[in-house]
Amino acid sequence: MTNPFEHRRPTELEDKAHAEAVRHFAEHLKQFPASREAVERLERDADKIALAANRAASKPTPKENVIQADDGKQWHKNADLMENIHFCHRPISYGAEYAVVEHFPAHGTSEILNRGWNAGEVLKAFTQGLRQTLQVWTEDVSAQVREFLSEKFPGQDLSRVADAFIHKCTTQAVSQKHSRTHSHDQKHNRGMRI
Amino acid sequence: METIPQTEAQPNPTPPERLAYSVQEAADMLGVNYFSVYRLIQRGKLKPCRALRGKLLVPRTELLKLLATE
Repeated sequence: MTNPFEHRRPTELEDKAHAEAVRHFAEHLKQFPASREAVERLERDADKIALAANRAASKPTPKENVIQADDGKQWHKNADLMENIHFCHRPISYGAEYAVVEHFPAHGTSEILNRGWNAGEVLKAFTQGLRQTLQVWTEDVSAQVREFLSEKFPGQDLSRVADAFIHKCTTQAVSQKHSRTHSHDQKHNRGMRI
Repeated sequence: METIPQTEAQPNPTPPERLAYSVQEAADMLGVNYFSVYRLIQRGKLKPCRALRGKLLVPRTELLKLLATE
């Protein structure tokens, strides 16, 4: 999506509506870029992670870094993909099986999110799921912004404002300040980890 | 002139419990970030409904179900 304001300058009303939307949905503008960048980083590193897992799987597996997953099997941690989400393998008679495993420290349980015989494919399936999550998020924010604008400015066509907001949300970079805040939030997330 | 009988002032009734919440509200209540809630939705662990304009709403029952199973 391109920024509609690049082609034609916003009117005074559009400017005002955009500023109000930015203020009202500030938290989305803060959190979305951080999550998007985390997904992009994983996509960039996927080949390296898969290669390292293949190498690890071809060697005798150490006893440490083992997770007991909800399938009853023991999985060896290869890499941390996100907080409490690990890329793992387990030796089988004809090679290795790979999985993305999410650990829930509060309950001591570990759930398998994706699994398969090909490390690259398993990682790809996981990152595709994250991409779909970002898409669900984008569609929801878009609907919320349109609802907000129609209630705040009834009878006005502010579709360009909504499009400009979504463009800003999905393309802006994470600020240094927020980058620090995000990692702090992740470490000190309240409640359960999901 | 007809007078309207005065009724005793009633204490404010408790507002009815909400049936559904936005993703932001659900994230705040669970104490997680927005991405975590959208991930739960994408994975089918939370089943949202859509308001008229397409905005996602997480039913209260879904949140309670999640907390019971987590």
